[in-house]
Amino acid sequence: MTDATPTATGRRPFALRHPSVIVVVAALALFTCVVTLLSEAYGTGAISTSFVKTLGKTLCLCLAALAMDLVWGYCGILSLGHMAFFGLGGYAIGMWLMYARTHLIVVGSLSGQALPATPEEIRDGIAAQIFGVVGGADFPAIWSVAHSLPLQLAAVVLVPGLLALVFGWLAFRSRVTGVYLSILTQAMTLALSLYLFQNDSGLRGNNGLSGLQNLPGTSQPQSVTSMWFFWASALALGLGYVLCAWIVSGKFGSVIRAVRDDETRVRFLGYPVEGFKLFVFTLTAVICGIAGALYYPQAGIINPAEMAPIASIYLAVWVAIGGRGRLYGAVIGAAVVALLSTWFTGGQAPDLPLGIYTVRWIDWWTVFLGLGFVLITLYAPDGLGGLVDRIVRVRRSDRDGAELSSGPGARAIRKAGR
Amino acid sequence: MSALLEVSGVSVSFDGFRAIDNLSFSIGHAELRAVIGPNGAGKTTFMDIVTGKTRPDTGTVRWGRTGRSLLRMSEARIAREGVGRKFQRPTVFEDQTVADNLMLALRKDRGPLAVLVFRPTAEDRDRVAGLAGEIGLRAALDRRAGDLSHGQKQWLEIGMLLAQEPRLLLVDEPAAGMTLAEREHTTELLKEAAKSRAVVVVEHDMDFVRRLDCKVTVLHEGSVLAEGSIDHVTRDDRVIEVYLGR
Repeated sequence: MTDATPTATGRRPFALRHPSVIVVVAALALFTCVVTLLSEAYGTGAISTSFVKTLGKTLCLCLAALAMDLVWGYCGILSLGHMAFFGLGGYAIGMWLMYARTHLIVVGSLSGQALPATPEEIRDGIAAQIFGVVGGADFPAIWSVAHSLPLQLAAVVLVPGLLALVFGWLAFRSRVTGVYLSILTQAMTLALSLYLFQNDSGLRGNNGLSGLQNLPGTSQPQSVTSMWFFWASALALGLGYVLCAWIVSGKFGSVIRAVRDDETRVRFLGYPVEGFKLFVFTLTAVICGIAGALYYPQAGIINPAEMAPIASIYLAVWVAIGGRGRLYGAVIGAAVVALLSTWFTGGQAPDLPLGIYTVRWIDWWTVFLGLGFVLITLYAPDGLGGLVDRIVRVRRSDRDGAELSSGPGARAIRKAGR
Repeated sequence: MSALLEVSGVSVSFDGFRAIDNLSFSIGHAELRAVIGPNGAGKTTFMDIVTGKTRPDTGTVRWGRTGRSLLRMSEARIAREGVGRKFQRPTVFEDQTVADNLMLALRKDRGPLAVLVFRPTAEDRDRVAGLAGEIGLRAALDRRAGDLSHGQKQWLEIGMLLAQEPRLLLVDEPAAGMTLAEREHTTELLKEAAKSRAVVVVEHDMDFVRRLDCKVTVLHEGSVLAEGSIDHVTRDDRVIEVYLGR
């Protein structure tokens, strides 16, 4: 068999066809090693434990952005609900963390009694500890498996996955698309967060779940456990990247990009468009759930405000800034914006005295971010990832002077101009 | 039943406007047919009904030897049954290469999971290269479809239809915006395709229809006005009045 056909690219190994996979995984491995060697627990201590947590959280946000890029950048579904799935993953693991830790505390405090505590006493003690803050003393039904780590880990995957499956099935089969679908996903997110704000939702209302940074069953200090979560986050991001790259590399990627660009045409090719959308929507919801389950133990607290629609909009902003339709773009966008956001809002950024007015970054960061978003949308629709493309000169076919039609954004502009 | 597709007594109205009025139409297993008619005659709506995009108010659409109804099937299901459609405006996936476009159309299992694990074999790649040769895009396999000329996009779309291996091809104005040489090539492609399957060509251009040299169906106000050879229908007084006379 000769290589006469230019389509022979399919025979080369996966990693060679997608050099970005090697680059991203290598960069991630290097980053992990450097952070480990500079950490308080395993290295010189140049990086504080709280900064290790910030970096670990950033990796989780990158993973969520990766999922967002798959569902939006590749499949064209502008979901404004993926941070809700992220939050659900966090709640699922948070329930176990809180239960198991409270269990240890209650057992410890009851051990001084003359008679050994009965399981009922322990259970009531845990319930009183956890739900006292919302005026309850009984476990709601959704906490029935909170004592079991494997079951709560299953919930990390199943709860966001099932919600996305049911929601997506209803929305896609009614052929809700475009901005209407975005509004629908946003409504879902808002409803979920408002529900969780209620004290009788069973998840402690606006108090949320707290103390999640304490890993029950280990006496290791925070400096060590935070590294564990950092490694797990790096591993999850690496695996997530390889999985997403594998999915978009083959014919499946070709089909979902086609769905993004012209759904009707794909239908007339015989592809069940709804099935493809549902698959991508559900898979990315699960990825977000896993990212959330790794994020919140590092954040230490989760409350319903984390699941407000604005969080999902930020996710879309990161992906847009990083560059849609290229996976490394999503990672770059989330990392850059999340770290800058931490720097500006964390009080490290020096105030900017302008004589009559002093710019305080804590107040002005959001304005700055919004301005950056507008400028990138207008002048660099391919985002930061597009700059990377330009630097490494990703091979682009000669357009023979034809109009630019690279991204869906450019296409929409052309359509509007017609 | 000898016909591949049999549409009978189909009517459809949009907001009180009768786009299709008691239309009956049938085509054999290997036949080339031209459908002509003035604007608003219902040509596109007719295609929409056959491909499942529009549901008719009344009437039946029967398919294949067993005469199964197409009316209850989704668009994707009908496409998998073997109805291929080419739109008026060339709709190829501009972001992807010619090879990707053809590979997308190649007749394979269309389910999400099957597509996820699908990796093209050498045979599939040869087939794509062969199809590209047929449509004159052999050298352009690795080019982005968006970079092709208008005529090349039209051919690519025809190539994608052939890759689907449909039993019925519905082609909407294939010659629109083509140069004379491109038209001749397109005529050859369609005639060749009609040797092994049914092909319905909707066209405005009389010269192009004459070159196809096949049976012609004239639509007017949603129903069939005349049917026969091109010479037969162009001599028909009513056809001259509603279409050619203008």
